[in-house]
Amino acid sequence: MENKVADILTSYSSPHKVSAIGNEAVARGAIEAGVNGVFSYPGTPSTEISEIFNLVSNYQNDSNKNPDDVKNATYFEYSINEKIALEKAIAFSIGNKSALCVMKNVGMNVASDPLMSITYQTIIAPLVIVVCDDPGCHSSSNEQDSRYWGNMASVPVFNPATPAAAYEMTKQAFKLSAELRLPVIVRTTTRVSHTRGMLEYNEINADKREAHFDRMPEHINIPARTATAHQKLLDKLHSETVDPFFKNFNKVHFQGKHKSTAIISSGVSTSYLLEVISRNGLEDQLELLDLGLIFPFPEKDVAAFLQKGFEKVLVVEELDPIIENAVRNIVQKQNLTCQITGKEESQLGNTGEFTLGQIDQVVGDFFQVETIGKTGLNGVSAYDDSLPPRPPALCSGCPHRASYYALKLIVPREDNDVILCGDIGCSGLGALPPLKMIDTINHMGMSISMAQGLSEALKSKKTKVVAMLGDGTFFHSGITSLLNAVYTKANMLVIIFDNRTIGMTGHQDHPGATHLDKYNEIQIEPLVKGMGINFVETLMPFDMKDTYKKIDKAMAQEGVSVLISKAPCVFLPDYKEFTKQDDKIIINHAKCNTCHNHYDHGISCSKKASSGSNLTRAIAKIRATERVDSKDQSCPANICNHGFFNSILEKDYKTALDMVRDKLLFSRTCGDICHRPCELFSNHESNATIPIKQLKKFVSGIDENFNDFSSALNQIEQATPKDKHIAIVGGGPAGLSAAYDLIRDGYEVTVFEKEEAAGGLIKYVIPDFRMDKQGFDVEVSQLAKMGVQFKFNVSLGKEMELEEIANQFDGVIIAIGLGKSNELEAVSSISKSKKYDSMNFLKEYNLKTLAIQPGSKIVVIGGGNSAIDVARSAKRFNEDNEVILSCVETESAMPAFTEEVEHAKEEGVTILANSYVEECTEKGDLKIKLHQFDSKKHLQDINCDYIVVAIGQQGNVEEYATIGDKNLTNGNKIKADKYNGFSNYKNVFVAGDICADNHMSLIGAIGSGKRAVIGIKQKLEGYKYSYEGLNALLHLNHKEKEGAIANPIELEGDITEFIKNFNLFQSCEKCNHCIDNLGCPAMIKVDGKIIIDEPKCTQCGLCIDVCPNDAIAWEKELELVNE
Amino acid sequence: MKETTKILVAGVGGQGVVFLTNLLVKAALLADIPVATSEIHGLAQRGGSVTAGITLGEHTYGFLEKGGVDILFGLEPLEAQRCASYLNKNSIAVIDENRILPYSVNSGNAAYPDIKMFVDYLKKNINKVIYNVESPEGINSVQRNLYVLGRTCHEVDFPIQSEFIKKAIAEIVIKDPEEKCLAAFMLGLTKEEIIVESK
Repeated sequence: MENKVADILTSYSSPHKVSAIGNEAVARGAIEAGVNGVFSYPGTPSTEISEIFNLVSNYQNDSNKNPDDVKNATYFEYSINEKIALEKAIAFSIGNKSALCVMKNVGMNVASDPLMSITYQTIIAPLVIVVCDDPGCHSSSNEQDSRYWGNMASVPVFNPATPAAAYEMTKQAFKLSAELRLPVIVRTTTRVSHTRGMLEYNEINADKREAHFDRMPEHINIPARTATAHQKLLDKLHSETVDPFFKNFNKVHFQGKHKSTAIISSGVSTSYLLEVISRNGLEDQLELLDLGLIFPFPEKDVAAFLQKGFEKVLVVEELDPIIENAVRNIVQKQNLTCQITGKEESQLGNTGEFTLGQIDQVVGDFFQVETIGKTGLNGVSAYDDSLPPRPPALCSGCPHRASYYALKLIVPREDNDVILCGDIGCSGLGALPPLKMIDTINHMGMSISMAQGLSEALKSKKTKVVAMLGDGTFFHSGITSLLNAVYTKANMLVIIFDNRTIGMTGHQDHPGATHLDKYNEIQIEPLVKGMGINFVETLMPFDMKDTYKKIDKAMAQEGVSVLISKAPCVFLPDYKEFTKQDDKIIINHAKCNTCHNHYDHGISCSKKASSGSNLTRAIAKIRATERVDSKDQSCPANICNHGFFNSILEKDYKTALDMVRDKLLFSRTCGDICHRPCELFSNHESNATIPIKQLKKFVSGIDENFNDFSSALNQIEQATPKDKHIAIVGGGPAGLSAAYDLIRDGYEVTVFEKEEAAGGLIKYVIPDFRMDKQGFDVEVSQLAKMGVQFKFNVSLGKEMELEEIANQFDGVIIAIGLGKSNELEAVSSISKSKKYDSMNFLKEYNLKTLAIQPGSKIVVIGGGNSAIDVARSAKRFNEDNEVILSCVETESAMPAFTEEVEHAKEEGVTILANSYVEECTEKGDLKIKLHQFDSKKHLQDINCDYIVVAIGQQGNVEEYATIGDKNLTNGNKIKADKYNGFSNYKNVFVAGDICADNHMSLIGAIGSGKRAVIGIKQKLEGYKYSYEGLNALLHLNHKEKEGAIANPIELEGDITEFIKNFNLFQSCEKCNHCIDNLGCPAMIKVDGKIIIDEPKCTQCGLCIDVCPNDAIAWEKELELVNE
Repeated sequence: MKETTKILVAGVGGQGVVFLTNLLVKAALLADIPVATSEIHGLAQRGGSVTAGITLGEHTYGFLEKGGVDILFGLEPLEAQRCASYLNKNSIAVIDENRILPYSVNSGNAAYPDIKMFVDYLKKNINKVIYNVESPEGINSVQRNLYVLGRTCHEVDFPIQSEFIKKAIAEIVIKDPEEKCLAAFMLGLTKEEIIVESK
């Protein structure tokens, strides 16, 4: 650029040949004409003209570079919009300084108001307007034909075909403007403005104009004068003053005698024609009239040309048939006989750009000659059709992307409750994938008007309308619209992307520009506050948490609110202050697209890869005030709590349920009675835990989802049959969990159960007030539907022997539970009608066969969960019953779950901890002598009706004696390998309460059942992974975390609202979030891996906050962590 | 040199399409060859497709047409392929294997075309294909373009003599060290073991 300027500035005297694009040629033409002031608003394809004058003006106004002539320096400004630019240019002319006003096609619409009236008045010094049209809409919102402005405003219009013509016409436009005292338009198109050709520069007009203002009646526009002014205007246009310009710029090429055909063209079409005529050697067959000054229409010249007697005339012009209509008019008026081939006949049409090939064909058809039109390759369409498009995108590191991303985290795009009105400029690129955060884009400044109009129209709806526009657009035409919104009490949010420049056209200055002394910097915040807007906040978009908060808050405001998202454009020097230039962003591929929940990635996972669900995870990352590492809340069944939780955040409750069912069948039962080790063992420092159990109850409670087991059935359908048959002895939760995993893995499964139905302790022992029994039956009943075979009323050691089934089946899992209740010596003499053990008490309670008189006094002995269940059941059986529980442990040391103990107490059970039965005698009722356990001192005597002994169970060794004493514990439990549940006997694995290391809980039973399945798989298929939930399973036997119980989180109201403050973090394999939702050009995916394209990375760090897997980090910070 | 030569430079915004175009213009002017160009670069900076036409010779104005390009400089393979319809059986295609993945490919919604297949197709159907898969070390994107231009001058009867291109490099390069740019061009121009795919 510097070179170009130097070129333009220094070649003052002797003419010389240069190569220049059309816009440079226009600038040079204006300089040679001695232009004093240039006013512009940037816009492609016109921008280079203003950029040259910006440099020229800065150069000339620099007293170091231009010591002699600063006072004659060209004035240049980027005006606030085209209307102001033209108004100021007019004023310059009135002050006797020549002016140039430069804009793109649509800019003329903004500037049309001053144009339409000044023509009725007068200008003083010459004023030239350059308007660059964009046929084909390469970078414009329409392809309007600016030639019409000539007719509309009654001003002359030049229409150059080449850079050389543009140069000459601009120069002459000043001359014509001076002579007519009218503004003159030079209209180019993209293919002239951005075409480079040869031209010759000449001398620069050295005449200096003296500025002055003379009072003249024409300067006052009042209706009394306008009627006569109009006629004067038309007279000017049709005066002889114009004739020499017609002569200069309406040229006939290839003149000759008695030619029968002619072409009339204008603009770039003439260049296409000259090339086509030359290469086809058609010079002798036609005359070509090129119209350079097209308004006022050169009627005399065209009539004279047509009167040469051509038989056929082809008219070629891009966009509207303006010349064609004028030519037809003349033919009719002059009564000529020539045949006109216009747009309709040639099929050149009114839209888009012409191409060389198109013109070649039209000329060939017109002359009925075989042109040397070019032929492409055979079969090329197979290669260039349907290639991936490459639309422009927001730059990497663009602060607009950060703002849009934050907005994306807040505004759901699935519904229409929020309408996002975008605007012209770089910010409009937010409409493209993957951001897609814009619903409307119209013309400059329309976002604010659209938002206030829509919010008024949709007033009764729950709609929020957001206007979003860049600072340049805001200054250009947003300010007045915003004032209108304030004044009319609109309800809308306006987000101004304040990057302190006009980005799209190449970083021109505007009122927000900071880097030039020449301008006053205008801050947007005080400006909009001054309009009377109450909610105005400025945010720094790279601070993602703050940006999120502020947008979230602003969205909730009533009335007009404004957010100013302020960070410099990546191309501005101060952008670097917002980024870490001395650091580097790196991606940890161990966290990116990696699942840490499963070692074995072949394990089924119901989480679908979707950009929506990853967005939810990303939202949690930014929004949550509590971040809990998922491994701190792990489950012995290894449910992916992270995926489960995030599915609920996403309100995808079906997937949440399926994620539970990926691991276990008893989701509703777990929601009822799991002792939630995932919550209690949390190591999270703030003690915050995610209420997984209650969430599980919530998702399992949705009947429609609960009754749909299709996901598991699909897994069975898709499983590869293993051709192995496994026997499971015992149909309780451990055995059934093993059956569920095996059947989904392609095994054949038979369950042997001694009772007449499956369900074990859960069915027969857990009282119905603690759980949904019918729900459990539904869950259990699925197994038969899945193909598990059941044999009921079969007991080990009676109807079948362990050795026998071990030989019959490929593998065996024993999960028979503990068959024998422990007895209390002190009550051995009590009659059976007054004495229960916990198992038969609870079984009778559940089967509703319990026969206890109302108002009975019942003493329960034992401190475990069964004792508590008995005590609560006894109390619930009849509320007049008095229930006392005696246990040897202190209350805090009771093996029962603390919550259960609390429930029992709330329900009126008296707990006598640290006590034991010294003696129990029967005389009608029972008399129990209780002693204190630690001091052995007498505590109290109790008279009661029943005693229930609930001091645990042991295995019934007769059932499995063959396994050998050395494999048994002294409680007759079966020892098993802690990694796979192997019993050390044949192919027999152990699960549930009978297994020596089992935790006596539902989740303990489930986990050990699953572990035994892994043991089977290792043995039968050589499966190489350990049981995925092993750590959490073994951890169950640790003491519960103290204090966690004190404040269990109670879910209230909208469950998803309630949990919004939490982020249960874990990286996920099904993540493609940065690509799906951010789309930074510096992040690319190569062979399935995300990598940073370092030359493109601007070190803004946005991606670090974006990554829901926490896989992106600053290199230096990571080093610090590693040290 | 034949009467006119039409060159199409295709690439992605930021790759140096405009730079290479300006360089060839400068070289042509130094060689006293009439030259014209036509560019579309409104949104070039935002990473979109960019093309520029350069025409050498009288009665041309920078305009190209389908089947009418003599030399295609594809600074990026996909963009080269996008311009395939501009080639004819006498054309020369220079394709630099310097991929820039568009968003649709990155996101997995579209596949990057099989460039090898395209090159094979061109080999069978046009005059000559120079498919550069080498990237000399320590070279930036501007210099890489010069390297590929050097290779092209070495392999084909390029309408502008190398000496003018060298002079033009000296005149036009602003940001980069001139020697490095010249060296990159010379490396392409003189390297002996250049593999040229020819019909």
